[in-house]
Amino acid sequence: MLKYIIRRLAYGVLVLIAVVVIISSIIFLAPVDPAQLTFGQRTDVEAIESKQKELGLDQPLYIQLGMYLQDISPIAVIEDTKANQLKYSYLKLIPLGSSALVAKAPYLRESFQSGRRVTEILKEAIPLTAILAFTAILIATIIGISLGVIASLKQNSFFDNIAVVVSVMGYSLPSYVTAMILALVFGFFLNAYTGLNIQGSIRELSTDFDTYGEPVFVWKNLILPAIALGIRPIAIITQLTRSAMLDVLNQDYIRTAKAKGLSYYTVVIKHALRNALNPVATAISGWFAALLAGAFFVENVFNFKGLGEVTVTALLTFDIPLVLGCVLFTACVFVVINILADVLYAMLDPRVSYS
Amino acid sequence: MDKRSLLEVSNLQTHFFTEEGTVKAVDTISFTLNRGETLGIVGESGSGKSVTSLSIMRLIPQPPGKIVGGEIKYYPKENEPIDLLALSEKEMQQYRGNDIAMIFQEPMTSLNPVFTCGNQVMEAIQLHLKLDKKAAKELTLNIFQKVKLPDPERIFNAYPHQLSGGQKQRVMIAMAMSCNPDILIADEPTTALDVTVQKAILELMADLKREIDASIVFITHDLGVIADIADKVIVMYKGKIVEQGTVKEIFLNPKHPYTKGLLGCRPPLDFRVKRLPIVSDFMDVHKQEDGSLMITEKTASVQEALDQVKVSTLSLEERQKSLYAQQPILSVKNLSTRFVSKKNFFGRPTAFIDAVNDVSFDVYPGETLGLVGESGCGKTTLGRTILRLVEAHQGEVLFEGRDVLQLNKNDLKELRKEMQIIFQDPYSSLNPRMTIGQAIIEPMQVHRILANDKERMDKVIHLLETVSLEAKHYNRYPHEFSGGQRQRICIARALALNPRFIICDESVSALDVSVQAQVLNLLLELREQFNFTYIFISHDLSVVKFMSDRMMVMNKGKIEEMGNADEIYNAPQKEYTKKLIAAIPKGKVENIQS
Repeated sequence: MLKYIIRRLAYGVLVLIAVVVIISSIIFLAPVDPAQLTFGQRTDVEAIESKQKELGLDQPLYIQLGMYLQDISPIAVIEDTKANQLKYSYLKLIPLGSSALVAKAPYLRESFQSGRRVTEILKEAIPLTAILAFTAILIATIIGISLGVIASLKQNSFFDNIAVVVSVMGYSLPSYVTAMILALVFGFFLNAYTGLNIQGSIRELSTDFDTYGEPVFVWKNLILPAIALGIRPIAIITQLTRSAMLDVLNQDYIRTAKAKGLSYYTVVIKHALRNALNPVATAISGWFAALLAGAFFVENVFNFKGLGEVTVTALLTFDIPLVLGCVLFTACVFVVINILADVLYAMLDPRVSYS
Repeated sequence: MDKRSLLEVSNLQTHFFTEEGTVKAVDTISFTLNRGETLGIVGESGSGKSVTSLSIMRLIPQPPGKIVGGEIKYYPKENEPIDLLALSEKEMQQYRGNDIAMIFQEPMTSLNPVFTCGNQVMEAIQLHLKLDKKAAKELTLNIFQKVKLPDPERIFNAYPHQLSGGQKQRVMIAMAMSCNPDILIADEPTTALDVTVQKAILELMADLKREIDASIVFITHDLGVIADIADKVIVMYKGKIVEQGTVKEIFLNPKHPYTKGLLGCRPPLDFRVKRLPIVSDFMDVHKQEDGSLMITEKTASVQEALDQVKVSTLSLEERQKSLYAQQPILSVKNLSTRFVSKKNFFGRPTAFIDAVNDVSFDVYPGETLGLVGESGCGKTTLGRTILRLVEAHQGEVLFEGRDVLQLNKNDLKELRKEMQIIFQDPYSSLNPRMTIGQAIIEPMQVHRILANDKERMDKVIHLLETVSLEAKHYNRYPHEFSGGQRQRICIARALALNPRFIICDESVSALDVSVQAQVLNLLLELREQFNFTYIFISHDLSVVKFMSDRMMVMNKGKIEEMGNADEIYNAPQKEYTKKLIAAIPKGKVENIQS
């Protein structure tokens, strides 16, 4: 098992490198000059050229790529200088003359737009998105599995038919539409009863007199975005749980469990559900990864300042280091979650083995 | 023996309400099970024997099934008799697994794959005997010992997929025995197992019955198995009991033609027959106007039916002479097939298992070569290697002089026309989304046999008729057919390419003995008609002996012995062969314990 995880992680690194190469190439080919963008319209050529030099944009693509890979690699050979120490804050492993083999945190460079370190920007955005994604998937998992189990036990009943129809509708509705409806209904029309805001992030700057301008947490701003993001996974999880349960309930071992004299509840929850969870786990892990990568539209609707919002802004302003940073994080999320999902399979089903 | 009754079933009626109408799966049956007795219920698939057992357990899937009438009285040791059908679901749960336990047919699918075997047995013990975890585990290990599972501690922590079929069935038996039930219902407990494993399981059940003083209801399609284990026999046909009596009465003096049919359809061991007697040789069934069945007898006794089909030794010798004067159609030389059993970190194989290990033999045109051995002996792999469905490790397979293993893609495609295979499981070897017409016509289209689809369709219809199906079946889907019919469809599909050489890989193992007889007869008829050459693979030596001219016994990837089928049966040289022969359920009166 451990061997398998190590091998998968090794593949994961290759995936990340491929992602960096492909995204950089696309950005490089785009007919936009980031140096120009940083200055706006009224700039002389010299200023742009000096900016290009500073950003390394005058170099050929493969050199730029090499430099970027060196920056993000946790282990690299770099020149042992004060400037580099400041930039990477590295730990020297083996000195090699004027250079050294060093261990360092991945350096994602600085945003073209704000001049802040990309790492700093991500550090602010990721926790917000992570909380949102986790809440949404938690809601979806609990409600989806419960509905699916009940629907399967009452197959072809009124409840079952309603559950199927509603979940098809829920899945067909794009989440930004749900988001707008929720914001409008609960944040605006029913605001007097719900007390919810039509827009807002969970970390806002205080508007109170005493603490003015300091960051505060507004947890209620989590509710509507989490529901908006949860609806489609609920639909999918309900459907998958239902069909997997229907399949499992017809298996011979369920009859064996009943023949043992176990109660209905034990048969359904212990013997059936455990076997039905595998396809559901696939769906949940996939959705969770996607949500962690940032829910672009929903965050936009609610003005929720998470990773989705950051990514969209970065793309619109051609902030290359920030775009790469976001994409790299997303790729990491997918690699890690996929490995975790595989580990989860093995835990759910002892027949799965990776040796 | 205490003759007080333990279970009294009277006028039980279980119906299934389907779209096509009501099916009377169990139609007003009555019988009694006494304490300490083993009751055999025999019948084909669809005779209602499993539905009877599930009715006793109140495990009929509902809907579509429902027990619509009757009474099932259970007489516990101390308390007053109880009508099981009058209990609420909650009350019934206290009897299930505790007083009445059940063993199912498919050990492969009857255990929950995600829990350890120990856990699943303990569950029942903790529930009914109210023991704590430690005591329950101790008892479980103890029972594992009793059912002769090797290394109980390991099995306790093993998951079902890590055990063999026989071991799984032992775990099922342990589970059923764990709470000392009064009644043990065994629904085809050995049907999915090899004959050798079947024998061991039957012996185990007989031993345990003596030990815990339980009564057994033993359900099977095979009268041969009943002879070894039952005291009393019930024969069921289309939901009704057609005959019941002691095992001696049933075997020595069967009254109903259906019972005679079941007795006659097992391959006889002491002499050769042209074809096996089948149920329809003994009786005709007419549907009367009121929907009930009228049965008329055709052949008076089993002996009479067998005498009609007996083959003289003289004609046998002639056949052999002409067969072996020819050049072999297939020569296998030093064939080995290996599977990777271990890989290193980079995915390179480091250890192998030789499933087929240095095997050589010839097959002559028109003959049937039987290949017999237990599960895992390599017989299936050998068959597939010859057809190159599995790649060989080394050796030669010469089909009419050409080495099959060296053929390129195009030549191999040509060869596929000549060599066909019929698989074991007729349920999973047909695509459920293709009509049977499409399934049979597809290989012809691939190989461009005949000019157009119109001609091919005519040929399909002809083939369906050859295997005793009808033209109207062309547009039906596999699920509409019974197991025996599906196997006929598989045979028709194999015939579509006009092959000369057919490998039958356990082609009748999943079928009832009565249906098995029909399919075996069909295969023999086709051999005469088209002069096919067969390799017939089975774990059941009696079936192989009936089908084959020569027989090859395989064990652990190697050939144990090979020769004339009758000679091997009459004078086996190797211990392994003797073991296989001993495992055949003889179904003879001499073997019946009084």
